[in-house]
Amino acid sequence: MKTLLVSSALAMLATLFTPAHASEHNGAAMAATCAGCHGTHGKLRNQEFVPLAGMPEAEFIRAMRDYKSGKRQSTLMGNLAQGFSDRDVQAMARYFARVK
Amino acid sequence: MLNRRDFIKAGAALACAAALPARAADTAAHVVIIGGGVGGATAAKYLKLANPKLRVTVIEANRVYVRGYGSSEVVTGHATMADLNVSYDALHQRYGIHFIFDTVVGFDPDKRQVRTAGRQTIAYDKLIVSPGISLQYSAIPGYSAALAETRAPSGWIPGTQTALLAQQLKAMRQGGTFVLIAPPKPYRCPPGPYERAALVTEWMRKHNPTGKLVILDPKDDFVTDASMQLGWHRLYGYNIPADFMKGMPADVKNSGKPAPIEWVRARDGGTVSKIDPKSLTVTFAGGSIKADVLNVIPPMKAGKLAFDMGLVDASGWCPIERRTFASSLHPDVFVIGDASIADVMPKSGYSANNQAKITAFAVANLLAGRAPDEPKWKNVCYALAGSDYGLFVADVFRLKDNKIVQISGHRYMSLDATPTQIRLGAAYQQAWLKTFTEDCFA
Repeated sequence: MKTLLVSSALAMLATLFTPAHASEHNGAAMAATCAGCHGTHGKLRNQEFVPLAGMPEAEFIRAMRDYKSGKRQSTLMGNLAQGFSDRDVQAMARYFARVK
Repeated sequence: MLNRRDFIKAGAALACAAALPARAADTAAHVVIIGGGVGGATAAKYLKLANPKLRVTVIEANRVYVRGYGSSEVVTGHATMADLNVSYDALHQRYGIHFIFDTVVGFDPDKRQVRTAGRQTIAYDKLIVSPGISLQYSAIPGYSAALAETRAPSGWIPGTQTALLAQQLKAMRQGGTFVLIAPPKPYRCPPGPYERAALVTEWMRKHNPTGKLVILDPKDDFVTDASMQLGWHRLYGYNIPADFMKGMPADVKNSGKPAPIEWVRARDGGTVSKIDPKSLTVTFAGGSIKADVLNVIPPMKAGKLAFDMGLVDASGWCPIERRTFASSLHPDVFVIGDASIADVMPKSGYSANNQAKITAFAVANLLAGRAPDEPKWKNVCYALAGSDYGLFVADVFRLKDNKIVQISGHRYMSLDATPTQIRLGAAYQQAWLKTFTEDCFA
């Protein structure tokens, strides 16, 4: 009985720390760092910046890759893109694509 | 005023039986935030976004927030004092954040309670403190808070001094000298003194064409560095020092003629030793100068509340564990924003906003029994060399060996930026004032 309790508690812990969960939450946290310009959840009323909410994953990933390589000209996105790995970009892309 | 020990005791002694425990078994955790500036407001909002069930209370002294970012535009009449006002209504109405407009006068870290001047005792599960800065007026001999309020405004925390500085600029005699004393590191808003200098120079070109501005600086470089000086050169004929010429576009040639803006850095004797409060004569290592308008941006330390609560170390700033911004000095307390020791992260509104979010997510995770995520933070500061000449500093940060390091390489507008990029930078600066305020407060 005791063993059973312990193992179910561990199973619960394991669920909380599954990689899928961690990376998804991390995507949300990293995406939140963009919100100072691109709006909370990437939603914008202001038209100067690109709204990121609902952007298809591939489009977000391509834009970040092109900013990083310098293929796409920018004011400051080129600098910022240097700070994110492919995995980071993927996690943010997944997050923004799901925002309704 | 209570000293620190009394302040902390006041929290303990006055925690009366009426104070309820923070959390009964079946109710949500209570996160209390002290300070409703950029850091505190953003933390409150993002805690609710992370977990709407959390109870979130903000304790703030003022009913309306007066934003510091963009406040130099009031000095030159591009914005009014009223434009700086930001309401807390949206945070309350849209997110159910509870506001207590009061001043904290007691703190009991063992019982996890704070006490206000209005005699409320408030219990917390986690406490986030965003105390901002205090200006060390008396650090410069001859300068004082009284002088700042009457004759030589600082205007670095927006308010009556900002309005006074705007009046003084307008009233300055033709051909007068505007002296700006820049602060030593670390200080709030690194590009700010140099942006203010640029905007004042631009204003004088129109309204006081023989007037000039002199920056006296205890440093040899500043944030935005060559990119700002290139803007000054193009717009105002500023002479760029030889050691900043590296990488400048080929057409940049100093005229050698006196320019309306001059930067006297430490190595050229820019460090100020005293101010004569009667004549507004400033003595610095390289000489002395009589100011017609004197704008002093004094040295800074963490906000007074951080001292009262025992959250600062010998440096005058708040030591933290970088991953979550948990105080190194009190358990269950987090310190975010300008007051925290965040290594290479600038003391800026954007940094405070990003720290607030990462800490809000970390606190929500900790309260749910989860480990905090691996953090990444960003900083983006827009700055103007003129109304249509935009610059920036942009960084991404992460943890390395429990310190915050910059990982994004080049930080500033490149020196070969096109006119379009420069104009866009200025347009983004104005747009950012709106989007950023919304992200923090709405």
